[in-house]
Amino acid sequence: MADVVERLKELWGKYDELEGKFKDEMDPIYQEPYYPDAAEKLYNPDKPMQNRVTDIGPPYYWQFLPPVVKKNYGQWKSHEIIQPGVIKRVAESGDVIYVVRCGTPRLETTDYIREICEIADKYCDGYVRWTTRNNVEFIVDSEEKLKALLEDLKNRKHPGGSYKFPIGGTGAGVSNIVHTQGWIHCHTPAIDASGVVKSIMDELFEYFGSHKLPAKTRLALACCLNMCGAVHCSDIAIVGIHRKPPMVEDERLQHVCEIPLVIAACPLGAIKPATVEIDGQKKKTVRVNASRCMFCGNCYTMCPAMPIADGEGDGIAIVVGGKVSNRISAPKFSRVVIPYIPNEPPRWPTTVKWIKKILETYAEHANKYERVGDWIERIGWEKFFELTEIPFTEKSIDDYRLAYTTYRTTTHFKFTKHVDEVKIEV
Amino acid sequence: MSEVKKHDTPMVDELKKGPWPSFVDDIYTYGEKHKKQACFDIMGQLELSYKHKETHWKHGGIVGVFGYGGGVIGRYSDQQDKFPAIWAFHTLRVHHTAGKWYHTSALRKLCEMWDHRGSGLVNFHGSTGDLVLIGTTTEQLEPTFFDLTHQLHWDLGGSGSNLRSPACCMGKSLCEWCLYDVQDLDYELTMHFQDELHRPAFPYKFKFKFSGCPLDCVAAIARADLSFIGIWRDEIQIDQEAVRAYVNGELKPNAGAFSDRDWGPFDIQKEVIERCPGKCMYWDEKEQKLYINNEDCVKCMHCIAVMPEALKPGKDRGVCLLIGAKAPILEGAQLSTVLVPFWRPEPPYDDIKEFIYKIWDFWMENGKNRERIGELIQRIGLNRFLTEVVGIKPIPQHVRVPRDNPYIFWKEEEVPGGWQRDIKEFRKRHPA
Amino acid sequence: MDKEELKQKILEVIEARVKKGKSKVYLKDIQRDIPDAKARDIKKAANELVQEGKLEYFSTGSTVMFGLPGVGMGLEAGSEDPNK
Repeated sequence: MADVVERLKELWGKYDELEGKFKDEMDPIYQEPYYPDAAEKLYNPDKPMQNRVTDIGPPYYWQFLPPVVKKNYGQWKSHEIIQPGVIKRVAESGDVIYVVRCGTPRLETTDYIREICEIADKYCDGYVRWTTRNNVEFIVDSEEKLKALLEDLKNRKHPGGSYKFPIGGTGAGVSNIVHTQGWIHCHTPAIDASGVVKSIMDELFEYFGSHKLPAKTRLALACCLNMCGAVHCSDIAIVGIHRKPPMVEDERLQHVCEIPLVIAACPLGAIKPATVEIDGQKKKTVRVNASRCMFCGNCYTMCPAMPIADGEGDGIAIVVGGKVSNRISAPKFSRVVIPYIPNEPPRWPTTVKWIKKILETYAEHANKYERVGDWIERIGWEKFFELTEIPFTEKSIDDYRLAYTTYRTTTHFKFTKHVDEVKIEV
Repeated sequence: MSEVKKHDTPMVDELKKGPWPSFVDDIYTYGEKHKKQACFDIMGQLELSYKHKETHWKHGGIVGVFGYGGGVIGRYSDQQDKFPAIWAFHTLRVHHTAGKWYHTSALRKLCEMWDHRGSGLVNFHGSTGDLVLIGTTTEQLEPTFFDLTHQLHWDLGGSGSNLRSPACCMGKSLCEWCLYDVQDLDYELTMHFQDELHRPAFPYKFKFKFSGCPLDCVAAIARADLSFIGIWRDEIQIDQEAVRAYVNGELKPNAGAFSDRDWGPFDIQKEVIERCPGKCMYWDEKEQKLYINNEDCVKCMHCIAVMPEALKPGKDRGVCLLIGAKAPILEGAQLSTVLVPFWRPEPPYDDIKEFIYKIWDFWMENGKNRERIGELIQRIGLNRFLTEVVGIKPIPQHVRVPRDNPYIFWKEEEVPGGWQRDIKEFRKRHPA
Repeated sequence: MDKEELKQKILEVIEARVKKGKSKVYLKDIQRDIPDAKARDIKKAANELVQEGKLEYFSTGSTVMFGLPGVGMGLEAGSEDPNK
């Protein structure tokens, strides 16, 4: 075992010499086998700083670029999507590569990653990359390899019949849904993430592998209003919402929580200390000002005796019309069009139905190049609600900060059916 | 290895059906093969969540390995008896590479390590950008970190009130529109600010995101406290012959992005000229020539994206630095706003690094707990931030429109004679 | 104030807060209690104290706090504190 430690030190020496900036060759550490018990030899709990390596950052990206990419770095000339999911890229040097994009579930196992490695080894000399939308990209340098790769990818399926590597995510289609952890691994979610995403993508599958929409359409999901990820600027997005303030478990609270921490955790200062009497015993606890609660779950983070989740109360809000690209129009926020849909595991049929309805209404009415938000701005929100048949409620009228900027300060509007719903009673 | 205990998961099993890759099938297949109880337990707990429509996770105060204030998220199941294998199920954020490029030799080794140290579950990638290793016990955190640093030469990413792992688009590695070296700047700043990335420094989180062009594929403008977006300032490069090829239908518009629907023949007038937000283009039908009034161009990329073989961004390229984006918690969502309209980034980017320190020092002194930089700027006013904090001359590009009220907080030194006046002199002119 | 002095001051500030029943402290709160030191110096000194084992971090999920090792709410969630 001493040899292993020596060997790792020797390899560290090489890393150190280059300060990690491996350029022409890859860090030899990756050719070295994994030693399962090396860490126990190196780590000494009594002297935690011994053998500790810190602040080295991620591996230098350059070593992981395929040779053809290194050669043409910054010298790409143009690209063409030759079929959905396949981008042909041509360099100034004349070199040609084909990038094959596949959707992934984002939540996966090391065996799934190994299968990606197997494919990358077979067709791409071991080089592979991911996109910011959880798609994986395989890069090949000839049409023959491309053909074989596409054929191979199509035939890889899970036992239940789902594709492991659906090809698509390019052009005027629906790309992979950026999402969060949900019930699989988060402590404050109002909804699941992976299950909702799977249900939606199953239904929108044809739009992932085709170019038939008026423009690219970006979907996103955040499982609570903390919104890990840029959900607030997506064409169509799903946000998990709580609708009940946290419960306070007076009996237990002082034993599992530190009250000043809980009070400090609330972003709106809605939690105050309190004392209650239970069976003649005085107990320290807290009280929540329910009317100030914004349902974020930060208190539950600090105190397991303040659970916020509620099967009946929690659910989904749908927001639409946002974007981040500066193309044609400026980036903009998504807007709440459906304030609440109950959680319906395992397939969330109502949510899926509305997402599809919004997407297909957009596909039918928008002009070429028009993103969802641009289309809605052109036709007007009143028309959007009419075409999609989404009932407009007072919940879509803002009452948070700067709400006034969203009210209509002009007589420019269209006479949709909504106008006749206004009845004045005197 | 002892036999695993399986749970009945009829609802979760429904997610094996359908064409989109099933995470359920993947996790079960892996669990069977590696005899990992954690995989069965997490599916069991998900089934319970599907039944109760509520999560079964609790948070722990763990933040990292010794000496690090971020990179690990503590997680505990509230179902210890039913699912003991996932009672403690912490997440490690592993810093992704710039542009998310990998070689399989590194990935395979990472997989082997994670099979040994954790559940085998991963996210490629998390929302911030990191590779996420999902699920291990407290005892395995230090050995995992030692494996990462010694056997993979790989570090953790940021969480908590640290600098979060910076992220960039594919950049020059694959894209012809990338206007500065996003991967290089990402890597350089990541390495320079390792201390801020691993140890809490700030009132709240801080994010850098780097996009090569205004199409902003990493959503920098929506989520980064400092958004670096590539831009050019001279003339769009035109190949007139290629423009004619698009007009004559010889080239596919938008590189084939609309291939599965019949939108009719390409109409440059309707599809490009009329959609231009700067209204700065003119197609001369007679001459068969495209004219661009570049002074009025707002660099939206539309014409370039529609006719990539014909048009390219200009040659004088740099970065537009914007500040202050965030998700809605707490003061509402914000997009980043223009800070430095044009900056030519040059390695090793010392000027950018110093500029960042200037912003951080101010934020660390003046920010409240959990106040993002964008909220702090709102609180004190962009005008004060520009003139008094970063020392940048305010220009019209900083605003969409000028203010609509004249409620200006004049300073004493701005008014001739100052604010100290003599009431007696005043009364001489204006008897009471 | 030199670094060792600053470290001592930080420990005192946190101990004073612990006595008032608050075992975890934000960096901002330490800065508020030591107004004559620079924010960046306080950050460096507090992080060094963690390296030395005299302080430990505590996560609230989105932010990080500082506390004395073993004092107050532990890192493992949900276990009842027998001392209370």
